[in-house]
Amino acid sequence: MSPREHILSCRGLTKDFVLHTIDGRRVEALRGVDLDILPGEHVALAGSSGAGKSSLLKCIYRTYEPTSGSVVLRLRSGAEVDLPSLSDQEMAHLRGHDIGYVSQFLRAEPRRGPLDIVTRAGVSRGMDRATARDAAAVSLKRLNIEEKLWDVHASVLSGGEKQRINLAAGTISSPQLLLLDEPVSALDPANREAALELIGDLTSQGVAVLAVFHDIEAMERLASRIVLMRNGRVEMSGNPDLVLEVLTQGART
Amino acid sequence: MNNNWALKVASLGKIHGITDLRALEDTGPDVGTAKSALTGSIVAAWDVGFEVAPGEALGVIGESGSGKSTVMRCIAGDQSSTAGEVYLRSVDNGRANVLDLDPSSRRRLRVADLAVVYQDPAEGLRLNVTAGGNIAEALTAAGWRHFGRIRDRAAQLLERTEVPLSRMDDLVGTFSGGMRQRVQLAKALANEPPVVLLDEPTTGLDASVAAGVLDLIRNLLEETGVAAVVVSHDFAVIEMLTTRCVVMNHGRIVEAGLTDRLLEDPHHPYSQRLVGAARA
Repeated sequence: MSPREHILSCRGLTKDFVLHTIDGRRVEALRGVDLDILPGEHVALAGSSGAGKSSLLKCIYRTYEPTSGSVVLRLRSGAEVDLPSLSDQEMAHLRGHDIGYVSQFLRAEPRRGPLDIVTRAGVSRGMDRATARDAAAVSLKRLNIEEKLWDVHASVLSGGEKQRINLAAGTISSPQLLLLDEPVSALDPANREAALELIGDLTSQGVAVLAVFHDIEAMERLASRIVLMRNGRVEMSGNPDLVLEVLTQGART
Repeated sequence: MNNNWALKVASLGKIHGITDLRALEDTGPDVGTAKSALTGSIVAAWDVGFEVAPGEALGVIGESGSGKSTVMRCIAGDQSSTAGEVYLRSVDNGRANVLDLDPSSRRRLRVADLAVVYQDPAEGLRLNVTAGGNIAEALTAAGWRHFGRIRDRAAQLLERTEVPLSRMDDLVGTFSGGMRQRVQLAKALANEPPVVLLDEPTTGLDASVAAGVLDLIRNLLEETGVAAVVVSHDFAVIEMLTTRCVVMNHGRIVEAGLTDRLLEDPHHPYSQRLVGAARA
């Protein structure tokens, strides 16, 4: 595979919600998104809330079903698949292996501890238990989760701890494409630093990352390109300095 | 397309009352009722179909009376069905419609091919028999004869489902609801069936007990590679256990999809109401 071949290619991606419980009204979340991501590229999505950033991530991961358009992902095997055309079972199988998604919130069984949660995430992605456990320990340490908390039920941990556990679970194996939706929003500066470093390492290992961060600093730090969204469309895409300049000017006026 | 299923259900239907197919026309989600004004029959389920792969858990959601339990009972053989086909990979390599089997062959499927965990443990267990005895019953039905080995296996199963071994020789009727459910799980898994049906397995338990049972079920599903169908009206249960779901309304499947997609982006008007009501 040539390194210039896209990991992800979205063309004409749209998402309409039809709200039957109100009056059948149609809400357009995405109005035709084109986006390409290369291996090892970190693309940050910017734009005000409601611009369609999370909707785009969810349409790619199929938590939302796209209304039209294509989302072509290059798999580890080198094959290319159009995600919206896959069966639910095929999509479920790709999740975790070829495409990962880390949300802002930990969705885990209340009665499991951090080490167990992260280890299981590894096992579910085909790692053997011992390898997964070792990788989980390394990742939790790296994200400053104290060892004495490793077997404490995650439900009683703090928001920031849960978020780091979630990130550790989502990054235990390297997918082709990793989708991040505000993965460090609840973290204090020191822990945020550790989390950003971990994400940066994935990129240097060749993982393609598409991320939404609420702060510009994280984008500056990690993004190789910034895509500015407005009204469900890509308004601008390019070098982080350039896009951030437009962004901050927009904020001033 | 995908031929890797352990359980396949096609066009399953159950009509209570006279079997007059005209009842299909004035029942269902579009009409808003399961009872036919024309024939007086109740269409409890119709045209229900899905496949479940080994290691996969499929959820069935919908409010009470939508036909979820009817579907489970028709697959399990607890209820006769009016129409449809049910295939198990373990039976004649998936070529035999088990609905066509004679009643005694059908009952035998419950030994090692298909297990059911009921909401009410009294349906799956004999309360006037000990925990060990209930499990031994399942094992002897599968041909186990050696007393010592049966006891060892029963002890192993109870340990796995976190029932204290000191309670092995107590009558199940003396157990708490959560403990009964654990014994029911142990019995259901006794002969390592490739398919298990779970009908509201945590409903009616205290929140903390339900969380424990749920956690246990999740572990068992992950570790055994069994194909599971989970009926629950509780979305937290469905979210935790399943990757795909079907939504039932007035006896019909109105929508099917990945579980997170169904909960975050439901399409059918009924699914939107159901999810909206749970989230409110």
